[in-house]
Amino acid sequence: MAIAAKVGRGMRMLFASTNPRAGGFARQDADTNPKRPLTKRGTQTLPHNLCSKLASLLLLAGSAHAATYYVTVAGLGGEPDYEQRFEGWAKDIERTLKGSADASTVTTLYGPTATRDAVRTTLRQIAGRAHPDDAFVLMLIGHGTFDGEDYKINLPGPDMTGIEFAELLDRIPAKRQLVVNMTSASGASMEALRRQGRAVITATKSGYEKNATVFARYWVAALTDPAADTNKDGTISALEAFKYAEQKTGSFYDTQKRLATEHPLLEDTGAGQATRAPGRDNGEGLVASAFPVLRIDKSQAVANSPEKRALLAKKDELESLIDQLKYKKASIPADEYKTQVTDLLLQLARTQAEIDK
Amino acid sequence: MTRACLIALAVAGALAAATPEQCRALRYHGRLDAADSCFTQLSREEDPYLSAEGLWGLRRWADANNRFRDALKVHPGDARVRVQWGRLLLERFNPKDAAGLFQEALNIDPNYAPAYIGMALVGSENFEAKAVAAAKKAADLDPKLVEARELLAYLALEDNDEKGAKDEADKALAISPEALDAMAIHASIDLLDGRDAGAWFDRIAKVNPVYGEAWSKAGHFFIINRRYEEGIAAYRKALDLDPKLDEARAQLGVNLMRLGREQEARQQLEAAYDDGYRNAETVNSLRLMDSYKNFETFRTDNTILKLHKKEAELLRLYFEQEMKRAIATYKRKYQMTLPGPVQVEVYPDHADFEVRAIGLPGLGALGVTFGEVVAMDSPSSRPPGDFHWASTLWHEMSHVYVLTATHHLVPRWFTEGEAVHEETAVAPDWGDRMGPDEIEAIRDHKLLPIAELDRGFVRPSYPSQVIVSYYQAGKICDYIAQKWGDGKILEMIHSFAQAKSTPEVIQADLGMSPADFDKQFLAWLDAQTKTTVEHFPEWKKRAREVAEDVRDKKYDDAIREGKAIRDWYPDYVEGNSVYELLADAYLGKGDKPDAIHELEDYSRVGGRNPATIKQLAGLEQDPAAASRALQRLIYIYPEDEKLHSLLGELWLEQGNTAAAIQEYQAVLALKPMDVAQARFNLAQAYHRANRVNDAKEQVLQALEAAPNFKPAQKLLLEIMK
Repeated sequence: MAIAAKVGRGMRMLFASTNPRAGGFARQDADTNPKRPLTKRGTQTLPHNLCSKLASLLLLAGSAHAATYYVTVAGLGGEPDYEQRFEGWAKDIERTLKGSADASTVTTLYGPTATRDAVRTTLRQIAGRAHPDDAFVLMLIGHGTFDGEDYKINLPGPDMTGIEFAELLDRIPAKRQLVVNMTSASGASMEALRRQGRAVITATKSGYEKNATVFARYWVAALTDPAADTNKDGTISALEAFKYAEQKTGSFYDTQKRLATEHPLLEDTGAGQATRAPGRDNGEGLVASAFPVLRIDKSQAVANSPEKRALLAKKDELESLIDQLKYKKASIPADEYKTQVTDLLLQLARTQAEIDK
Repeated sequence: MTRACLIALAVAGALAAATPEQCRALRYHGRLDAADSCFTQLSREEDPYLSAEGLWGLRRWADANNRFRDALKVHPGDARVRVQWGRLLLERFNPKDAAGLFQEALNIDPNYAPAYIGMALVGSENFEAKAVAAAKKAADLDPKLVEARELLAYLALEDNDEKGAKDEADKALAISPEALDAMAIHASIDLLDGRDAGAWFDRIAKVNPVYGEAWSKAGHFFIINRRYEEGIAAYRKALDLDPKLDEARAQLGVNLMRLGREQEARQQLEAAYDDGYRNAETVNSLRLMDSYKNFETFRTDNTILKLHKKEAELLRLYFEQEMKRAIATYKRKYQMTLPGPVQVEVYPDHADFEVRAIGLPGLGALGVTFGEVVAMDSPSSRPPGDFHWASTLWHEMSHVYVLTATHHLVPRWFTEGEAVHEETAVAPDWGDRMGPDEIEAIRDHKLLPIAELDRGFVRPSYPSQVIVSYYQAGKICDYIAQKWGDGKILEMIHSFAQAKSTPEVIQADLGMSPADFDKQFLAWLDAQTKTTVEHFPEWKKRAREVAEDVRDKKYDDAIREGKAIRDWYPDYVEGNSVYELLADAYLGKGDKPDAIHELEDYSRVGGRNPATIKQLAGLEQDPAAASRALQRLIYIYPEDEKLHSLLGELWLEQGNTAAAIQEYQAVLALKPMDVAQARFNLAQAYHRANRVNDAKEQVLQALEAAPNFKPAQKLLLEIMK
């Protein structure tokens, strides 16, 4: 070699690891991420200027009688390591949801109980209980397969196809639905599952990405990490959770210098092209952005006096103005935009302070 | 063959059938037009072998290749056909198939010397030790084979064995006074030693007035001795004599690129490429230069930093300040100011770095230095914990000083040894630890005498010898600095600058013979490494058992065994180190203080696993200790959002607002998903530092992303009071 160089030896390991080390760092605590108020109004950077439509959707979401039904299915692992992993993720989701939602609406199937019959029974029961105003979330974890025609999730006993799931979900009256299929080959289920009003997330872009996925790990993390709530409205929406898990999945492969064997997708128009990057350009992500998967802040501003009601109305108006201004940002001179947005944000902060008094 | 003979040949050539030897002789003597006519005639021969030789001479390589394929069918038992085809393939960048043909020729005739020459040429492309053996075999089989002697001279000079090179060149000249490459070796030796080589070049010109190869060879020897400017000048002279010498043109381009002269580098490389010279080095270098549009350049008075756009914002925060720190340190230590700024190029794609370094992928290096230009891997180019970028940066920047101070006349072992020494001089936990390869080399007495240490870098005789040589060279510099002080290192640098050899410098500056130095050094090293070397096999076995005990939760057994063996090999901080295993066992028993103690030792010795270091920081009760632990990771894997965010928080807790601001800036540079939180954190740090306008700017941007973010709203109101 002709050059003055530093030669690397890389990480050397003299014997196989028997005790993989976890991060184990516990300094991050709740104090660094203070609780935020629960409100969906006008805080999202929307892909389209459809605030009014969204507001009506959100009113549904926030309706006192509306419920969200959650079903998590962890399929067969095949090996003890996968069994443990799938079951662990399913339990983590269950724990998180039960800490936030009505426990009676959370169903988790894993291990020997996660049979085709049990899944069908659960979904039929929800179909009998749910109302149109309700929301429904199905999360699938495990090994999926694709034979060129049908997608299947591996379950104890007979497997279930994507089409079977679609038929069962179509019978659930809840108009807002979310399916998060985190299995390998899950991309093959997209076609069968997508429908207007239903956001569908898959861990892979097709049925040919057959390796075990890590997307589920980061979906679980999204539901427990306040950082996933990027608009700080106290709710983790499907879009926020998807973006979080998608980015972490990409980073995992990038950091480990491994070829990515999964490329998560989202489709929520029922007719569009599933995408990794939902946004204004492709028209995807609107339903998912308005779909609260988890409320991490249960405190709500209660309008129990005329003064408070007036302040809340003012807050709504300011949020709406901020949204409109942000939407027009590109067409306004930078200085002018800054002056206006500063003024509105300051007014909003003062109004919020008044509400909190 | 004399010129009179050549004229006779040329005349005869017009009358009778040409032979490949006659055509090559014309070219060898610079009779290019006559050679072309000869090769043209040869190309029309019916015999596919002769035709192939003719086409090759006319640079019609693809046609020649096809004709050689035909020739093999006609002359299946002729070793010469296979060797010549192999030589064509070797010339056209296919050493693998060439080696196959040379081997086939040897299968036909085990005593066919030109086949060994072919093997030696293939080996020499990769600086393999077997090249020398193959060339010697050729010389033994055919004592009159000039090319074998010339090749041996060339290989000896690559090993910095000037005497051996001269001897072999003289043997070649004794066989043929017109041995051009033997004369080129003599000329190169004179040039390398700073003497006038005019007499040799005159003699070469008398044989072949357009023999650019001689200057091209000199260029090669300058380059492998890291004397890039002189190498470039030699390649230019080669091209003045023979503008069609594409290999020299490509090398000129590659070395201009190494020195950062991109415009001319591109011109030369494109010219070589357009002329059909499309070896991997040329093509890769052009591709890399095409990607330069993705890099950003940052300049200060004494630094130029070139970073990929995707990580420029983050890495600039840390690289620029380390470059400045290294420059300040080395300026004092080496008592010199560099003539210009140091340029550091950081490549997030290791393959790009490899191309930047040698034109080819497959380089095991982390960084390289060309004059005042350093190219290195980015921390993002390798898995976290695999690579200490700051250590590499300081290593390379040491080269910049040592190479400049010695006018590039320093032997390889010294500049590498000094660079390795500097890594741990700046911080004991930086640099590399003694690994199993080094332990085995010490145990098996494989360390080279200091006078021959360069061989371990240039032409290693066993796979890990380069790594071992780095270690040995580093330890030698440690030893010199420890015994005689840094001043002695400086004296040696000055001696090397006067073109003194290693034995001369050891004798003059250390006052002893190289053999005595070796004896003393090995005794010093033995005292340091004896325990590890003696116990290594048993340590390996028992460390595995400790890991099994931890896995089986037999914590008491793990602790007893771990404590017994840990210090047999304290340098081992790679996967499943005893420190980490002991920490796990202590934690398994709920003994946090002892776990912290083990992990602190792991960190102090140089452990780099980010998860382990974060674990230590998480266990530490004292924010100062936690930040100290995490700060090490900045130099290992800074592309970690959580690391910066935790450090920011810790610095803020300790009132170090400047450090907190830098860490929160790093979070933002990583383009976090949670932009609002990241900007709010930075705003808080600015606010604490009384930088009101900056705080306001950041908090407004946080609120723009998340208008209802209550803590940010509160901060905004506080700022606006």
